[in-house]
Amino acid sequence: MKRLLAAIAILLGLAGSALAQSSLPPAIERNVEGSLHAARAAIAPGETFTIVLRQNIREGWHTYWRNPGDSGEATELTWTTPPGYDVGAIQWPTPEAIPFATLVNFGYHGEVLFPIEVTAPANARPGEQVTFTAEAYWLVCSDICIPEEATLTFTLPVATQGRDDPQWAPRIAQAVAGLPRREEGVEARITEGAPARLSVVLPNANSIRNVRFFPYSRDVLLASGPQLPRVGESGVSFDVAGGVATDVGRAPLEGVVAYEASDGRLRGVEIVAEPGDPIPGTDGAPAPMSSDYPLAELEGASAPAAPVSMDALGILIALGLAFLGGLILNIMPCVLPVLSVKALSFAGGAHNGEARRDGLFYFAGVMATFMALAVLLLVLRGAGEAVGWGFQLQAPWVTSALALLFFAIGLNLLGVFEIGGSLQNAGGSLAQRGGSAGSFFTGALAVIAATPCTAPFMAGAIGVALTQSAAITLLIFAALALGFALPLTLLHFAPGLQRLIPKPGAWMDRAKHVLAFPMFAAAVWLAWVLAEQAGPMGVLSLLLIATALAFVLLTARWGRAWLIAGALVFVVTGVFTWRPLLGVQTETVLASEPWSAARVAELRAEGRPVFVNFTAAWCVTCKVNELAALSSPRLAQGFAEANVAYLKGDWTNRDDEIAAALAEHGRAGVPLYLYYPSNGEPQVLPQVLTEALVLETIAGAQ
Amino acid sequence: MSISRRNLLLGGAALAAVGVLGGTLLLNGNEALASVETGAQAPAFSVQDASGATRTLAEFSGRTVILEWTNHGCPYVRKHYDSDTMQTLQRDTTADGIVWLQVISSAPGEQGHLDAAGARARVQTDNAAPTATLLDPSGAMGRAYGARTTPHMYIINPQGVLVYQGAIDDQPSARPASLQGANSYVRAALADLAAGRLVQTAETVPYGCGVKYV
Repeated sequence: MKRLLAAIAILLGLAGSALAQSSLPPAIERNVEGSLHAARAAIAPGETFTIVLRQNIREGWHTYWRNPGDSGEATELTWTTPPGYDVGAIQWPTPEAIPFATLVNFGYHGEVLFPIEVTAPANARPGEQVTFTAEAYWLVCSDICIPEEATLTFTLPVATQGRDDPQWAPRIAQAVAGLPRREEGVEARITEGAPARLSVVLPNANSIRNVRFFPYSRDVLLASGPQLPRVGESGVSFDVAGGVATDVGRAPLEGVVAYEASDGRLRGVEIVAEPGDPIPGTDGAPAPMSSDYPLAELEGASAPAAPVSMDALGILIALGLAFLGGLILNIMPCVLPVLSVKALSFAGGAHNGEARRDGLFYFAGVMATFMALAVLLLVLRGAGEAVGWGFQLQAPWVTSALALLFFAIGLNLLGVFEIGGSLQNAGGSLAQRGGSAGSFFTGALAVIAATPCTAPFMAGAIGVALTQSAAITLLIFAALALGFALPLTLLHFAPGLQRLIPKPGAWMDRAKHVLAFPMFAAAVWLAWVLAEQAGPMGVLSLLLIATALAFVLLTARWGRAWLIAGALVFVVTGVFTWRPLLGVQTETVLASEPWSAARVAELRAEGRPVFVNFTAAWCVTCKVNELAALSSPRLAQGFAEANVAYLKGDWTNRDDEIAAALAEHGRAGVPLYLYYPSNGEPQVLPQVLTEALVLETIAGAQ
Repeated sequence: MSISRRNLLLGGAALAAVGVLGGTLLLNGNEALASVETGAQAPAFSVQDASGATRTLAEFSGRTVILEWTNHGCPYVRKHYDSDTMQTLQRDTTADGIVWLQVISSAPGEQGHLDAAGARARVQTDNAAPTATLLDPSGAMGRAYGARTTPHMYIINPQGVLVYQGAIDDQPSARPASLQGANSYVRAALADLAAGRLVQTAETVPYGCGVKYV
């Protein structure tokens, strides 16, 4: 759902981005202006002072942090110094995460100061001038990358008494103060596992947002992977995954935790996470992200914690987009037929005066319904449901419900069933009343009937609206309603336009039938989303329920007995399949490991009894057996007590080794259950298992 | 009111609806960058090469295959080509019967994108010696392999198992000077394979320019 919204946002944003795109810079021009500056106007023998490399980076381009992330390269300086002078390493300011397509890089925009410490020798002679030269090399990228080189120098006098450079000393001091460093009270732990969990004690955890961990090593995590940051009362936690390093959780992990502080500034703190258990109180809620945080989508942006105030222009843009969105809703597949049909109903012969009045009432109906929805949302928000909104849209059951809805609408458009139920009849009879009330309810009905189609699209507007004050929420909904109501209202007022409306006829059915297919496509897409959310079992459940739904919808119109039969099928299907769709994990209490002949031999060599289950996803008997006989905690306990190893050979895909093992026991297919006692020949169990039988087998053989 | 206008309206509406949905699907399809685990079966592909032939992984079954993601405008790729390092590696490996496939996943209009004629000309200009240059402007193959940078190297053994993925060497820099003393991960992995050993360094973090996907 989120992706759908993102896609719409992208579509709507296209116009804006076209404007924002500036012309490309001339090829010969540099993208980074680099220079060296010292905090001191004169240096004393033996003193340590700070210089900076200043990069002024062209807008839209960036240079890199010490670990560049998925691609890119850090800035390098190669020094030529007067004898005896010691120049330290570049000290790196807190980086930003810079997403590009599917990658995430770590680096800098705009003007950056990189502090470097220099120590003068004690025997430096006052009165002499010393010159430092650095061969600088940096990679600067926008959508393409350009390596740039420069020779940078600076010269300083040596004096008996050093003195600050009035222009640069304060700027450099500020840059140094802003560097990420170890802080008192900041502790961190890293666990093993995939993902590993990094927990960090941060005293100000409650007042920060856009928090992210930047490791010094490129190997420990995938730069473009989500870290799913969480905050608790004592700190933050991150997922660390996707790297090529194999010692995560066993070696100290170094890096910088960067965040936006309550004053809006980017801050960083250096951490060294020691291997160990997670620090408690560091993973309460998803960490807040601002709406302009570039990784918000990657991190599955939780709703912003506090209403983000919009400026007047922002509100105007939101209203404009809502209006446009409302207009677009008119051509949404399940709205258009409703509206076309409604349009036809008054296109036939209404007098102009009457038509105008009808138009106004239709308009009022749409506005009132949208406003009612807005108020409902505000009430829900007041009741604290707002936080749950975004999560709801990510829940498998919402995805499933929407998929079923789209499927049912498609069936309806194909004429598999008519909505003979109360809703349309009530609405329809109200709408057919004629006159003002009829038009008012036509408007209301259009909104309600359209909800299934529009809900996913409106969610964007709702999302924006919910982060705003009540007044702005109402305004946005009003703009949406205006856009929705306008085309049909105009038709009432401009009889000339009415000629554009096609006359009723057989084409209406054809149109409905054609429009069924985008509905099915939407359902297919949602099923794919569900596959990511709930896996193959979720998709299986959804498809079974969809089949039962189609059955009950088809049979419902054949009379009461059929309706009852259909409903029964639907309910029974639902009862057996709802679990994965609600995100309820069917507990696999009996842990298995993959089967291989070698593993069996190994376990038997250890003297352990082994239970082997050859199964396949497409094997119904296997699945029934697994549910009925191989999944209870009691069985798991039995296996544990007898120290039985449980191996699963998955034959879902072709596997010659498993085929050979089956053949060895005279079978050409699955299921095959084998029990190898700790000594003695393997036993073949029947193809239909019961829990008692399995328990007896492992007990009897001991 | 003519039938044709009616049909036009309807057709338009249906197209708009299908377009919105299709566009949504496409946009979503673009996001995912898969990753293949080292030691797993390498994803099958079927892609046109610069000569117009369709190349598949299956046709090279029984031979070691090297995939090299490339973008001729990328400074990191230039480092390896302008110094003849990449071409030497291509010649050395193909002489041993290894299949070397360059893959271009840059989308049309993006840096590094080449049509078939352009790709053939680029091989000439660079005096490169790949077995074939695969054109993947949709990025489907790149995404299936999780190719992130140019260069990004993959080695697939004769059984079709991915045995190495990552950087070409241990010098993540665009500077030509960094080639001196660089250790080629690809050469090391091939030496392991030739000696019948497990690949010691089977996965590294690739470096270079981001692949310019659609």
